[in-house]
Amino acid sequence: MILEIALLCGLVVFSAAAIILRDLLKAAICLAAASLLLGIVYFRMNAPYIGVFEISVVAGMITVLFIVTIALTKTGGDVREAKAAEWIFPLVLVLFLAVDILVAKSLINKIPALESLPEQGTFGEVLWKMRTFDLVGQIGLIFAGVLGVLALFRKRSKDE
Amino acid sequence: MAFLFVALPLVVAGILPLIGKISKKVLPDVVANSVLIILLGLVFVEGRGLVGQAASIQQLSWLGEPVNIKLLLDGFSLFMLFAVSLVGLAISLFSIDYMDHYGSKANFYALFLVMIAGMNGLLLATDLFQVYLFLEVAAIASYALVAFGLGHDELEAAFKYLMLSAVASVFIMLAVTIIFGLTGSLGFEPVSQGLRALDAKFIVGLCSAFFIMGFGLKAALVPFHAWLPDAHPSAPAPISAVLSGLLIKVSGVYALTRVFITVFGLPPDLSTVLMYLGIISMVVAALLALGQTDIKRMLAYSSISQVGYIILGIGLGTPLGILGGLFHLFNHALAKSLLFLNSGSLQMSTGTRNLDEMGGLAKRMPVTAGTNLVGALSIAGVPPLNGFWSKLIIIIALIQAGHWAFALIAVLVSVLTLWYYLLIQRKAFFGKLNEKWNAVREAPFWMTVSTVLLALLCIVTGIFFAATVQSWVRPAADALVRGVQAALGSVGF
Amino acid sequence: MSNTWLVYMSFAALLLFIGLYCLLTMRNLIKLVIGVVIGAKGFGLALVATGLVKKNIILAQALAVTFVVVEVCVVALALALIINIYRKDGSLDVRRLTKLKG
Repeated sequence: MILEIALLCGLVVFSAAAIILRDLLKAAICLAAASLLLGIVYFRMNAPYIGVFEISVVAGMITVLFIVTIALTKTGGDVREAKAAEWIFPLVLVLFLAVDILVAKSLINKIPALESLPEQGTFGEVLWKMRTFDLVGQIGLIFAGVLGVLALFRKRSKDE
Repeated sequence: MAFLFVALPLVVAGILPLIGKISKKVLPDVVANSVLIILLGLVFVEGRGLVGQAASIQQLSWLGEPVNIKLLLDGFSLFMLFAVSLVGLAISLFSIDYMDHYGSKANFYALFLVMIAGMNGLLLATDLFQVYLFLEVAAIASYALVAFGLGHDELEAAFKYLMLSAVASVFIMLAVTIIFGLTGSLGFEPVSQGLRALDAKFIVGLCSAFFIMGFGLKAALVPFHAWLPDAHPSAPAPISAVLSGLLIKVSGVYALTRVFITVFGLPPDLSTVLMYLGIISMVVAALLALGQTDIKRMLAYSSISQVGYIILGIGLGTPLGILGGLFHLFNHALAKSLLFLNSGSLQMSTGTRNLDEMGGLAKRMPVTAGTNLVGALSIAGVPPLNGFWSKLIIIIALIQAGHWAFALIAVLVSVLTLWYYLLIQRKAFFGKLNEKWNAVREAPFWMTVSTVLLALLCIVTGIFFAATVQSWVRPAADALVRGVQAALGSVGF
Repeated sequence: MSNTWLVYMSFAALLLFIGLYCLLTMRNLIKLVIGVVIGAKGFGLALVATGLVKKNIILAQALAVTFVVVEVCVVALALALIINIYRKDGSLDVRRLTKLKG
């Protein structure tokens, strides 16, 4: 458990850093590092498939998308974030953490839950056989995403 | 067979960009519109198959092996599928002419079909997570469609819409996860049984709050409505029609109703909260609509107000209230799409959306003026058009349940609605013809066809409202009133 | 529910909070999208942790994988919008996006 908690703390620290850092490129790299840590946490939880997916897709593809966008939108002057927002952030974070821990302590053994269902089979079976409609949904998502990006970047031959 | 509702638009959406390379104009139009006509026919086929059964959960089989896709087809989902196909067809007919000057029409139709597929998938889902998934499919398609014109306003509206929608998604999924944690499953029926076995009032209340925040944002209930008055006017007219007429109802009202009634069973506290939200939306949005000069913004606020009516009816929980709410959903889908399409015709002919600049256009655009009048009177609730009957049913239901104050407010808001719609008619169509518009012509062929079709439907549904209610709305209301029992399968295919 | 679940959920809540804070206060458009990604991470963690406790981790993984696909599409579209906004406006400041009044 100690290792998991350490990894999770690292995850939170990198995520917070991704928000506070002014340089967007460094923020994107912190985000990638956070995803990497999250992937390792998933492995430790005995969830290898999502771990691999998280590392390859989120730490990989999304970071690439971010870097491409950052490269295409190099502004002359940086956008100044509100100073107040940046200074308050650590305080609010610690405050929320305290509230979080208190709530968690009070909820111990108070949340009712049903017995769990028996184990379902391998990941492949579950994804392809049980949640097939989800796959149809994923196809829809990918179409929506691809067509949307194509629509947004189309060549305007004549003006609107 | 019901799977075609999702599969057909998706597959065609996939090949439309290729078709678009071959033929820029004619072929994409024909293909996209025929898909919608097929879907409409499918609704009737499925409806006939459903007569006599409470509901069916269909199981597909592919090449001999059973593929595990379960689709929920009961009165409620069939009713919504009917609304989606009907309004979708009218809108896609309209787009034949309207989207000409935006370019990349095949891409537009493809995104539109993905959105329809997403909405249909949501309607047929049997499982909380699938509801969320298809909601996102439709939402992502809509982000791109709102920004389709690539002007500054459209991009800004689309971005704000995306951000707010992302927050809504977080809340919805949070609630779904908590429910998964409590009951260990996600399907409507197991969850409902599980929640009954447990006694977790506080947690269920928390989840309900999250669902209201999430779905309420999608349905644009006050106070979660902030994205709508920006997004709907900026989008191209057919997209505004789809968003206002269908998307907020499918991903907002339908999802909310499904979860609260079929899964949670609508406890009385929840009913009260929904009714208050409905009333507040109705009143606030109607007041805000009065001060607008942009015709599409006025229509957008009106949408928020009418969704308030629908939630009021459904939140009431009595059979008559649910009946009224659902009927109003259908009527509003027809009428509001009609009005937005007309605003598109106006914008295309005059180049402006500002009501103060228009005037006396009835002389030059008689068909548009006429259909607009039908749509406006329908929403305002003037007999014998359809809106009158649905509002009447809701008000009667309120009186029957003893909520006199609510009924009175509903009537007053109705009067307010009539007032600002007549304002639109007067400013845009009646009165003296502004000299600027002397050369304006009536809208092109397909645009008038679709608006006339919707107007005729409004009139017919109004005159024959008893038949419509009996054949379409009553099974839907019954399906909801029976609660979870209706979602269980009786016969699988 | 067990203590491990609560530990994971409190971290997930923390991540969600960071994501929401970012959406509420940050001005750079790209940072807003980073906020969405962080929130999605918190969410995926909550999902898998719940699956772990319910001994149904395979199902939770299937859901989480689908959710990551949702996240990727949303981020891709958001970034495409941002690139277009940058081309029109020349700046990434969200305060410039106030032409439309709610």
